[in-house]
Amino acid sequence: MIWIDGVLVSPGEGGVYGERMLKDHRVWDPRRSKLAALFAKGGGRDLDPQMRILYLGAANGTTVSHVADYVESVYAVEFAPRPMQDLIEVARRRKNVVPIMADATHPVEYAPLVEEVDMVIQDVAQPDQAGIVLANLPFLKQDGVYILMLKTRSVDVRADPDAVITATVRNLEAGGLKVHAATRLEPFHRDHAALVCTRK
Amino acid sequence: MQHYWFGDVEGGACTPAQGDLGALSDRLDTLRITMESFIPLSWEDAVACGVCADRRDYLDRLRALCIRRAETEISAYYQQSDIELLQMVRMLDEMDTVINLLTERATEWYIVRNPGFSRKYRAIGAKKMLSIIKKDRASPLGSLAGEIERLASERTRLMREVSTRADAVAPNCSALVGGLVAARLISRAGGLAQLARLPASTIQVLGAENALFTHLRSGTPSPKHGIIFQHRRVHNAPRSTRGRVARVLAAKLGIAARIDYFRGEMSPEFLEKAQRRIDDVAGIA
Repeated sequence: MIWIDGVLVSPGEGGVYGERMLKDHRVWDPRRSKLAALFAKGGGRDLDPQMRILYLGAANGTTVSHVADYVESVYAVEFAPRPMQDLIEVARRRKNVVPIMADATHPVEYAPLVEEVDMVIQDVAQPDQAGIVLANLPFLKQDGVYILMLKTRSVDVRADPDAVITATVRNLEAGGLKVHAATRLEPFHRDHAALVCTRK
Repeated sequence: MQHYWFGDVEGGACTPAQGDLGALSDRLDTLRITMESFIPLSWEDAVACGVCADRRDYLDRLRALCIRRAETEISAYYQQSDIELLQMVRMLDEMDTVINLLTERATEWYIVRNPGFSRKYRAIGAKKMLSIIKKDRASPLGSLAGEIERLASERTRLMREVSTRADAVAPNCSALVGGLVAARLISRAGGLAQLARLPASTIQVLGAENALFTHLRSGTPSPKHGIIFQHRRVHNAPRSTRGRVARVLAAKLGIAARIDYFRGEMSPEFLEKAQRRIDDVAGIA
């Protein structure tokens, strides 16, 4: 990853969402992006130029645009029409982004479009986030990494975030994954955690 | 056999899909895939298939297809009759807020320019106030007040339009609670389809989310009503029966929303029975 004076950046054409530029690089703000927050907390896995990535919950394509600066290609899945309009615009400018309008809880919808990937990044506001991980495992290479951005409040608003994290880790391990680390994303994002997983 | 966007692959042999983007997209909609027997595609198969020349070409074709599909789906989504209604309701509610704020500010400004003026003991509503302020020609304030007035009349026009649209989109809900309240319920639920799938208990407290979550978190009393409080049967009911009226009204609205969504036309039998029941619990039999 590229850091300039302690600031995480990505190499690419700027002006996607009014991001700051630093020495011709795009500043990747950990307060806006959970993935950037994970890197800032030291828990990220490096993005390499030959990597292919499946990004579930791509939203407006803000984080996707930074990921695309680093890797070979990104399959960006988003369900809602409004953010999808922005995501399409990002995909027009970034030739390595494939925008897919589909529901991450139903991988059959995009199965004929997506190849095996080195990393899946999942950032969806859904109750059954562990279930979505397991449903999307077929797309992950044998030695690939699955990064789950867990919104604990989407799982259960009433429960204690740590309890939700523990329960999710248990579900993932029961589904055949090994959770290497669960990093809380405070102070950048409240009640969020990033779980870095691989196959057992 | 594995079905992919570029064709079918079986035992190393590939049959390419035929036709232009539209045909490829239509074919994707007909594919029946199960994740159990699914093997992820490899792009080299697409080259072997003769669909594309290299990796760059592969991605370009796939992107063109995906963008085309997404655009088609987005425009189909926006063409649903209730989607524009959502924006209209939200615009209406924001206009209310803005007009109130501007009128208050203009009044404060007017008072500064007219030290002898007071609203005490005079029933001057916002509308009347604006027409008074408008006469102040010596300052930008006067013409600003005129603009606020125009905004207010635009707001009234928009309100009528919202009401008419709601009558068309959700005739049964609108008949029960009026077009405006029906439109607000649809807006809060995120669409008529979503509203039709909500349980009555949720419809009852739509618009009272803050109170509801405070209740769930810290055990304060649960809210009795949200948006449906705006219906006269609810806000005119005495406190002791208000919750009951809200509950019954929400239950009938739940049914009405489903008739609206799945049948799409007015149901006089249902409306008559529902209205009678609501009047009953409101104690006006």
